[in-house]
Amino acid sequence: MKKRLMLLLAFVLTIGTILSACSGKENATSNKEGKDGQPYEIKWYTIGTPQKDTAKVFEEVNKYLKEEINATVKMTQIDWGDWAQKSQVMINSGEPFDIIFTNGTEYVQNSQKGAFFAIDELLNKEGKELKEAIDPSLLEGIKIDGKIYGVPTNKEAARQTVYTFNKRLVDKYNFDISKVQSLEDLEPMLKVIKENEPSITPMATFKAYLPFDYVFNNEMPFAFAIDGDREHVINQFESDLAMQTYKTMHNYYKAGYLKEDAATSKDSWPMDVENWFVRMGDSQPYADALWSRAAKYEVVSVPAEEPTTFNDSVSGSIQAISATSKNPEKAMEFLNLLNTDPYLRNLVDKGIEGVHYEKNEDGTIKDLPARIERYNLPTYSLGNHFILNLYENDPKDKWEKFKEFNEAAKPAPTLGFHFNSDPVRSELASITNISKEFYPALATGSVDPEEYLPKYNKKLEEAGIDKVLKEIQKQFDEWKSKQK
Amino acid sequence: MPKKLQTQSSIALSQSTNDMKGAGVKILRKKYRDPQHLHPVVNTIISVLLGILAIMCIFPFFYVIIISFTSEESIVRNGFQLFPKDWSIDAYHYLWGMKAQFFRSYGVTIFITIVGTIISVFMITFYAYAISRPQFKYRRFFTFLAFFTMLFSGGLVPTYIVVTQFLGLKNTIWALILPLAMNAFYIIIMRTFFLKSVSESILESARIDGASEWRIFFQIIFPLSLPGIATIALFSTLGYWNDWFTALLYIDEPNLVPLQSLLMKIEANLEFMRQNMDVAIMQSSLFDTIPQESAKMAMVVIATLPIAVSYPFFQKYFISGLTIGGVKE
Repeated sequence: MKKRLMLLLAFVLTIGTILSACSGKENATSNKEGKDGQPYEIKWYTIGTPQKDTAKVFEEVNKYLKEEINATVKMTQIDWGDWAQKSQVMINSGEPFDIIFTNGTEYVQNSQKGAFFAIDELLNKEGKELKEAIDPSLLEGIKIDGKIYGVPTNKEAARQTVYTFNKRLVDKYNFDISKVQSLEDLEPMLKVIKENEPSITPMATFKAYLPFDYVFNNEMPFAFAIDGDREHVINQFESDLAMQTYKTMHNYYKAGYLKEDAATSKDSWPMDVENWFVRMGDSQPYADALWSRAAKYEVVSVPAEEPTTFNDSVSGSIQAISATSKNPEKAMEFLNLLNTDPYLRNLVDKGIEGVHYEKNEDGTIKDLPARIERYNLPTYSLGNHFILNLYENDPKDKWEKFKEFNEAAKPAPTLGFHFNSDPVRSELASITNISKEFYPALATGSVDPEEYLPKYNKKLEEAGIDKVLKEIQKQFDEWKSKQK
Repeated sequence: MPKKLQTQSSIALSQSTNDMKGAGVKILRKKYRDPQHLHPVVNTIISVLLGILAIMCIFPFFYVIIISFTSEESIVRNGFQLFPKDWSIDAYHYLWGMKAQFFRSYGVTIFITIVGTIISVFMITFYAYAISRPQFKYRRFFTFLAFFTMLFSGGLVPTYIVVTQFLGLKNTIWALILPLAMNAFYIIIMRTFFLKSVSESILESARIDGASEWRIFFQIIFPLSLPGIATIALFSTLGYWNDWFTALLYIDEPNLVPLQSLLMKIEANLEFMRQNMDVAIMQSSLFDTIPQESAKMAMVVIATLPIAVSYPFFQKYFISGLTIGGVKE
C-alpha cells in the first residue's frame, strides 16, 4: 500500500514538473513576439456566427494595421449559443489571448475575478482618442471598484421601456395611443381587440414592468427607486405600485388578453408574425423604423418611462483586454483605432467596399448580397457606432439622435455600483429559487396578487432578504462615500 | 468466415426446432405443450403492451417528421399539431440551401466516427490486455491508474488546458478524436473479459509454438475476444457519432464542426435569441439565417435517418458477434 502511494505521488510530481516546465517555456518564447519589429498578432474573440469571408476581410484589415500600429489581428467568432460556456472555459483556463467580447454580469464577475486587464492607464496613453470619443457615462457605468476593465461600445447608453403597438390595428380602430402612460390606459383598446380580432392575441406575453433600478434584475427583490428616495435599497414587491400593477395584470389575464400559459411560455413572439396587438420592449432612437423593417409591417411605440442610464444598459457590449494578453498596449492601440478610425471601423463591420457593400454618391451605403450571406457581423458588439456609414434608408440624423438620447437620459441611482454578492451567497441562492417560482406568475397576471404577493414576501423574509438588503445598503453607502 | 459459420448454424438451429415441433405434435398430441407457446389471452395482452411500448418509442420520431413538413407560419400560430393545416417542404428547401456546411459536417462526423472507433478500440484493448496478464509486473499500478480516473476526474478547465495548451489540438480534427479515445470504464470491462475468456494455457501453447507477443494478440486474443471488442466498438461508435461537447470546446472553424454539434449550435442560438430579444430584433438580419422550428426538425430527421435506417443491418453483426464467442468455451 505504502509503495503504491509512493509511486502515485512520484507520478503526480513528475507530471506537475513537466506541466509547469511547459508553461514556463511558452511564456518565455512568446514574450519576445511583437517587440523585435515583427508585427504582433492580436488574438480577438468576439460573439456571432463565424462568417465565410472573415479571412478575406481581415487580410485587408491586417494590411492597414501593419502600417498604422505594426500589428495584425486574428478575429475568431464564437457562435451565439456557444458563447457563454466557451468563453467562460477559455477565461478560466488562462488561455493566452488579447481581446474578448463580454457584457452584463459576465463582465462584472470576470473583472472582480481579475480575468481582465484594468485599462485606466492605457486609456490615458494608447487610448487617448478613444476616451474622448466615448460617452463618459458609459465609462463611468462600467467601473468596477473604481477601475475600468473594458471598452464599451459607444451606442445608446440609456434604456427606455416602451409599449409597442401594431399600427395596422391602431389605425383600423382609431386608437389614440399618445395618451398611453401606464398599463391601466391599455384597457379600452385591449377590450376592442379581444372582441373584434379573434386571430390576434391582444397582449404578446410580457411581464408587467415596474420602473425601478434593479441591483440584479427585475425578478430579484432588490431595487432602488428612480424617483424619490434614491439612497435606499428596497424590496420592490412590497411597494404599492407592485400590488396595483399586478392587480391590473391579473384582471387582463382573467379577461383573456394574454395567453393562458403566459407564466411558463417560452414563446418569443417573433415580430414577423402579425398575431399580437401590444408588446413591451427596450427602445432606442428610430427603433420603430428598425422594428417595422424586421417585421415587414408598421409598428408604433409610446414610451413607458423616461430614458435612464442603467448599469445593464451601459454594459450591454464591451470589448475587454484579457489579463493573459502578452501585449496589452498593442491591444489597446487596436481598440483605439477600431473606435476612432472610420475606415477600420466600417471595414470590420461592413466588409470590403465593392464586395460586401456599395457606396452611394451621398456617402450612404447599401448592402450587397455578399454582406448578408458571407460577412454578416453583429454591429452592436464591435465598437463605436457613431463613425459607421449610414444606410441609404437610415435617417440622416440617426447618430445625432443617439447622442441626444444619451444626453437626455438621467443616470440611475446605482450607475457604477456593482454589488459583491460573496457575503450573502447562500441567502441569494434561496431567494433566486423563490423568485423563479413566484415572479413569472405574478408579473404575467396568472395569479391573484392579493393572495400571492404577501405569500411571496413572507417566503422572501424567511429566506433572509433583510440580511441581503442590509449588505447591499452597506456596500452602497461605502461606494457612495467614495464617489464624493 | 464467421458470417458463413453463422448462417450455417442458424439453419441447423431452425431445422432442429422444426423437427422437435413435428415430433411433439405426433407423439404427445394433447399433453405436450410447447414451452414457448403462450395462452392466447396472455399472448394478446403482452402483444398489446409491447405494441404500445413500441409506438411510444417510435411516435416522437414520427412527430418530428410531421413537424418538419409543417409550415413555419402554422407552427407559430397553432403550435405543433399532429395534422397541421398547412404542409410545406420549406424546411428541406432551407437545408438544401446550407448544403455545403451540412455535407461538410456529415463528412467530419463519419470520419471521426470511423477513425475514432478504430483508434479507441486498439488503445483500449492494448491497455486492457496488458493489465490482464499476470506476467506484467506493474499491472496493479496501471489498473489502479485507470481506475483512479473513474473516481476522480480533472474537471473541465484542466482538461481544456491540456488539450489546447500542452497538446495544441485546438481547431484540429484530433481534438474531436483523442479526448474520447480512452475510456477507463471500457478498459476495466475489457480487462475482465480477457481474464475470463482467454485462458492462460492457450497463450502458453502459442508461446511454445514460438509466436511473438504481437502475433499472439492479433491471431489468438483478438478473434477469441471479438464479442467484447464488438461491444466496446459499438459503444465508442455511438459515442463519437453523438458527441457535440468536444466540438463546442475545441472547434472554432466551421469546416471542422461535426453534425451533432451543428444541430446543438442551432438549438443554442435559438435559445440565445429567446433570451436576448432586444439583440435579436436590433440585429434581425443576423438571425434570419438561423433556421426556425420546422427546419430544426428537418435537420434532426436528416441527421438521424441514416443511422436509424442502417442500424438494423449492423445490428445483425453486433448480435452475431456477441453470441459467437458466447457458446464456445
